[in-house]
Amino acid sequence: MKLEIDNVSKTYRGGVEALRNFRLELGPGVLGLLGPNGAGKSTLMRILATVTRPSTGRVLWNGKDIQDDPDMLRNALGYLPQDFGIYPNLSAIEFLGYLAAVKGLGAACAQRRIGELLELVNLVDVARRPLGGFSGGMRQRVGIAQALLNDPKLLIVDEPTAGLDPEERVRFRNLLSELSGDRIVILSTHIVSDVEAVATNIALIDRGKLVLHDTPETLLAGVNGKVWEVVVPSGDLPSLRQRHIVSSTAHRSDGVHTRVVADTIPGPDAHPLEPSLEDAYLAALTAHRTREGP
Amino acid sequence: MKSLRVVYAIARADFQERVRRYSYLVTLLFAVYLGYAAGTGQISIHLGDYRGLYSSAWIGALVSLVATSFVSLVGFYIVKSAVERDRRTGVGEILAGTPLTRVSYLLGKFLSNCAVLGSMVLVLALAAVAMQLLAAEDRNFHTWALLSPFLLLALPAMAMTAATALLFETLRFLRGGFGNVLWFFLWGVGVAVPALMELPQLDPSGLWLVYASMAPAARAGIPGYVNSFSLTLADKYVPVAPGFHWNGIGWTTELVLLRLVWLAIAFALVLCGVFFFDRFDPARSRTWPCVEPLPEGVPIQAETGASAAPRPPLRALASLTPLASDVRHSGTSRLVVAELRLALKGYRWWYAVAGGLLVAQFAAPLDISRGPLLASAWIWPIFVWSALGTREARFNTEQLLFSCPRILRRQLPAAWFAGFIVAALTGLGAAVRLAFAGQFAGLVAWAAGAVFIPSLALALGVWSGASKFFEAMYTALWYVGPLKQVPGLDFTGSADGPQAFRFALMYLVIAASLATAAFLKRARQLRAA
Repeated sequence: MKLEIDNVSKTYRGGVEALRNFRLELGPGVLGLLGPNGAGKSTLMRILATVTRPSTGRVLWNGKDIQDDPDMLRNALGYLPQDFGIYPNLSAIEFLGYLAAVKGLGAACAQRRIGELLELVNLVDVARRPLGGFSGGMRQRVGIAQALLNDPKLLIVDEPTAGLDPEERVRFRNLLSELSGDRIVILSTHIVSDVEAVATNIALIDRGKLVLHDTPETLLAGVNGKVWEVVVPSGDLPSLRQRHIVSSTAHRSDGVHTRVVADTIPGPDAHPLEPSLEDAYLAALTAHRTREGP
Repeated sequence: MKSLRVVYAIARADFQERVRRYSYLVTLLFAVYLGYAAGTGQISIHLGDYRGLYSSAWIGALVSLVATSFVSLVGFYIVKSAVERDRRTGVGEILAGTPLTRVSYLLGKFLSNCAVLGSMVLVLALAAVAMQLLAAEDRNFHTWALLSPFLLLALPAMAMTAATALLFETLRFLRGGFGNVLWFFLWGVGVAVPALMELPQLDPSGLWLVYASMAPAARAGIPGYVNSFSLTLADKYVPVAPGFHWNGIGWTTELVLLRLVWLAIAFALVLCGVFFFDRFDPARSRTWPCVEPLPEGVPIQAETGASAAPRPPLRALASLTPLASDVRHSGTSRLVVAELRLALKGYRWWYAVAGGLLVAQFAAPLDISRGPLLASAWIWPIFVWSALGTREARFNTEQLLFSCPRILRRQLPAAWFAGFIVAALTGLGAAVRLAFAGQFAGLVAWAAGAVFIPSLALALGVWSGASKFFEAMYTALWYVGPLKQVPGLDFTGSADGPQAFRFALMYLVIAASLATAAFLKRARQLRAA
């Protein structure tokens, strides 16, 4: 099972370049696709989900171009878009039943699958209520269930934890981890902690370009010994931000406890910290932007 | 002063948003077409068997009446989206969190509606100038006679249309398809009542005011003239009445005030809307509550915090039954049933009326059954059909659906077929009666109608992404065809007599073209972006 993104570019009307010569090769596992807002993540997701066509380049699913035969991929695809709608008068069961029919599932199989999925996403008790009355988190769980209807080999989820409460978020992360065994899961998000929890590989995208593609371990190794805690008076924080990458701050009685990513020790009182993926993400993004310029 | 700035900002933003859409260009092209139709005599004022010379006064009256009649009818559907757009895009919820007042908001939207319709009137006014120059029947150019009808007839009528559209948007029961259908009949009443009561004061379009002005000149200049006056689509050459001389409406203070009253009424309608406007409060604007009470005994699920009580153990992913590869490709019939269920979901009392009409078709004499009863049966599901092809855009499910396999070959035909089933079932009584009576041509005409309706709905729905265009066009077509029994336009075939078979074939060809157009557009949507 292999998904290849071969030199894909996407230019929208008006000349906005959302993706530029994007290359990536994926096998089974969870790919965490990270990037700032407007980096091109959702465009890439839509291209991989066959909703949008690339301006140039190809996407190959098991060696075959998905533009030549999109249904080949669609049969194996589960897709949860970032922004999706529901039919408000339908219940969760009816809505999933409709999408199961659209995806070509037989009646008996769909009925069983929907029951199981509603249990999986914890919506059994409200399964017969109109979706129009669902909260954002409940709708999101319906979205997750529909993505799993056809037991997809390629699961693409775009900002899936938006609107979920912390418990549901943890549950969904676990679900993604379980799913990753024999399929390709692409998790697009700007929430680094979601990726940290489940991703076996990470791709960092910025301004339409692939910045890096590596394992979380390698990414973390890159900032090993470069993360520090510095305590500064709050008035010194702006100048510290100008000199170094500041990944987090916390106000305490003795000053601002600042997490800094720097090649060399940022101050005499600084002490080293265990790096997090967020530190590595910020360091890689800053290094890329320094190389590329504004 | 600050409030005026806010009103201006709302109006300006809304107008900019509209004019930058492709549909606005189509709107202006429609106005250009109307100007062309008037200029080439396809739309004309008839005084008996004659028309007037293309003088400034005649052209001004003619083209401005085209604006007040046709643009006010169609313009309603064009502008009735100002509030809906804010609701759909979520901008409304942002605005609701600001100090913006209902009055300012609605006045801004009203002005934007007026600006859109006004731009169409402007196009027609330019067309009127061009028409006089090109026709060259009368080279004397009288600016006031030419343009005053646009100012005093067309603009107040446009204001009324703009305000009514806005009022409809503020009323929940008129916001959707019912309002679209109602407008057609309301417009008809607005044109007919002043004539029946012979009261030009009740006429927002100004049609009867023009008549009241022209009639004395016609009586004096046209031999045998007996009060015949119509603004109509001309299908043959209409000669100029040689003795007819008309210098335009003599605008007295009373007449001007009479027209300005319509502006005041339009303004009052907008203010009336203030009482009904929900200010984007979802609790007031939806038919379902935001958070529906859970059934008794069901534990409340926390959506916002981690402090909820532990939930019962849930099914693990590993326990999902694996899908066998052979169950993945069910037939299209299951999808048709799913589409049919989706189409009919949410209609509670609809079935009772549809069933009653069906029973009546079986019980009534054949002429009644295939005439008024079939006509009624085929207007009743208008909102079921108008959702065809638009549901995906309306509810933002496009990405979910368009990433499914064989979507073009399966879902679109299934949606069409669901629409056809609705037509076939609601009109089944007439079909059975025709079959038993051995009226083969009538049966073919019935079938052509049943095929034509979902094809028209799907094509307009997929191309426009909105249901109102089908609702407007189908209502108009239904009115002149099945209801008024105009041969050729009656897609049920009951008015076509011996030509029923020929017209049925015509409708089948049209239906095939419409279905193809829908298919091509959807294919383009799938390829687009």
